[in-house]
Amino acid sequence: MQWWQILLITLYSGFAIYDGNNTTFGTVKPTMAGFFAGLILGDVQTGLVVGGTLNLLVLGVGNFGGSSMPDYMTGALLGTAFAVLSGKGAQFGATLAVPIGLLMIQLDVLARFCNTFLQHRAEKLVKDGKFKSATHMNLYGIIPTSLSRMIPVFLALIFGSQFVQNVVNNLPMWLMNGLKTAGGILPALGIAILLRYLPLKQNVAFLLIGFFLAAFLKVPVIGAAIIGLAMALVAFNHDSKPAQAEAATTGASDDDEGDMEDE
Amino acid sequence: MSKKVELNASMKKVFWRWYFFGQAGWNYEKMQGLGYYYSVYPLLKKIYGNVDVQAEASLNELQFFNTNNSMAPIILGVDGAIQEHQGIAAKDTVASLKTGMMGPMAGIGDTLFAVIPNTIIGSIASYMALKGNPVGLILWIAYGFLRLGIMRSFFYMGYREGVKLIDSLGDRLKKITSAANVLGMTVIGALIPSVITATFAYKYHNGGVKVSLQDLADQIMPGLAPALVVLMAYWLLGRKKMNSTRVTFILILVGILAYNLKIFA
Repeated sequence: MQWWQILLITLYSGFAIYDGNNTTFGTVKPTMAGFFAGLILGDVQTGLVVGGTLNLLVLGVGNFGGSSMPDYMTGALLGTAFAVLSGKGAQFGATLAVPIGLLMIQLDVLARFCNTFLQHRAEKLVKDGKFKSATHMNLYGIIPTSLSRMIPVFLALIFGSQFVQNVVNNLPMWLMNGLKTAGGILPALGIAILLRYLPLKQNVAFLLIGFFLAAFLKVPVIGAAIIGLAMALVAFNHDSKPAQAEAATTGASDDDEGDMEDE
Repeated sequence: MSKKVELNASMKKVFWRWYFFGQAGWNYEKMQGLGYYYSVYPLLKKIYGNVDVQAEASLNELQFFNTNNSMAPIILGVDGAIQEHQGIAAKDTVASLKTGMMGPMAGIGDTLFAVIPNTIIGSIASYMALKGNPVGLILWIAYGFLRLGIMRSFFYMGYREGVKLIDSLGDRLKKITSAANVLGMTVIGALIPSVITATFAYKYHNGGVKVSLQDLADQIMPGLAPALVVLMAYWLLGRKKMNSTRVTFILILVGILAYNLKIFA
């Protein structure tokens, strides 16, 4: 493998995670990553198949409430690279990529954890009146996030597929499968955070309706959103009438206070 | 509605700062709080000359914030309009508006800007890729530009509504917020069994009798395990000395233990 190939693929991983979090031009999608790695290594077909296979695993999965997801972007880059270099074909690459993607969850968690210190630093700087320096903390957040991809990609490309295979093979299965289960339940945190920050008490009925639709009737999330929109419209129209009547008889001042408490 | 709103230079900066770096400093404690502060900094600098007042306003904007990053420009627009007109007097209004809007916006936005494009574009692009055709990838890039356009119009919309809000404070927004909460809650309810993967693994064998815990659980309620995990996370978050980072570690631990004790598959 040429040094410039290693460099470009490493840089791609760092940029893609930035793009995925901010500008969203699809570079973080496994298909795009596989295509890019294939292009760099002169085998676009293999890259597309590795990326496409991995992409199908994460269809319809968003990054809800900031939970960490299996990172098949990194998986697709390395999977493609090793498939092309070893000549073992796309299926080998895709299979190798899955544990890599799962392993990356841990590094993503670590990077976001590092950024907590930047948040604390920014708060301290603001208290000291250093407002501009505090804004820089946000930009520094790119460093842990991008390095969490670039370092493993760089090392894996330098040491080769045998090394990665050894790492993957020697990982204790109880831990790997346990982490997979943990990855499955982690989105619960994002949802729980949202529930803490929404007026849950007044709206618990709608939470139950949404849950019922998806769990019992197997309605997709979009379908549930349509029902939710319908109920929201009914609530909005229903709300309008008494509010207008009330506004005509009483002053608006009591109303304003109620507003703030609701939120 | 149709009247075009002119944005001043610092408000324009707010948009682009969010667009390029809104989630750069994402962290477990305040999530997008750092990126939000980074984005509104030019505005705060322009409005508040006094160091003490700017510190107060800045800390307000550094608070916990988390929503869908494509929807956030609406909230930034409303926030900007209010602070430009009322300054630090509107501190509490801004804080409650931000928390009131971020939930529904997250519920709607994650569906609109994550689930839908991921499903539609993702399946087209993957399908074509498996056939060896990279053309589907262009859809992702096209979507990136479409999203930018939508975010910009959201920002103007938020600013315009924010200006109006000052004239007729509260009432209209209260209704929109409570209706949005209905939508948001319904979506969140549906997300629980859809995005959380947890199934019971325990199986009981006794002679010819086989009982699977998951089958039993399904008879009680499908999606029981995801619901229990959410309840646990919700409860944990409410405990003293708990923050999202600690809950993250607890959930990881629970996942590893539950797998190895054969509770969860």
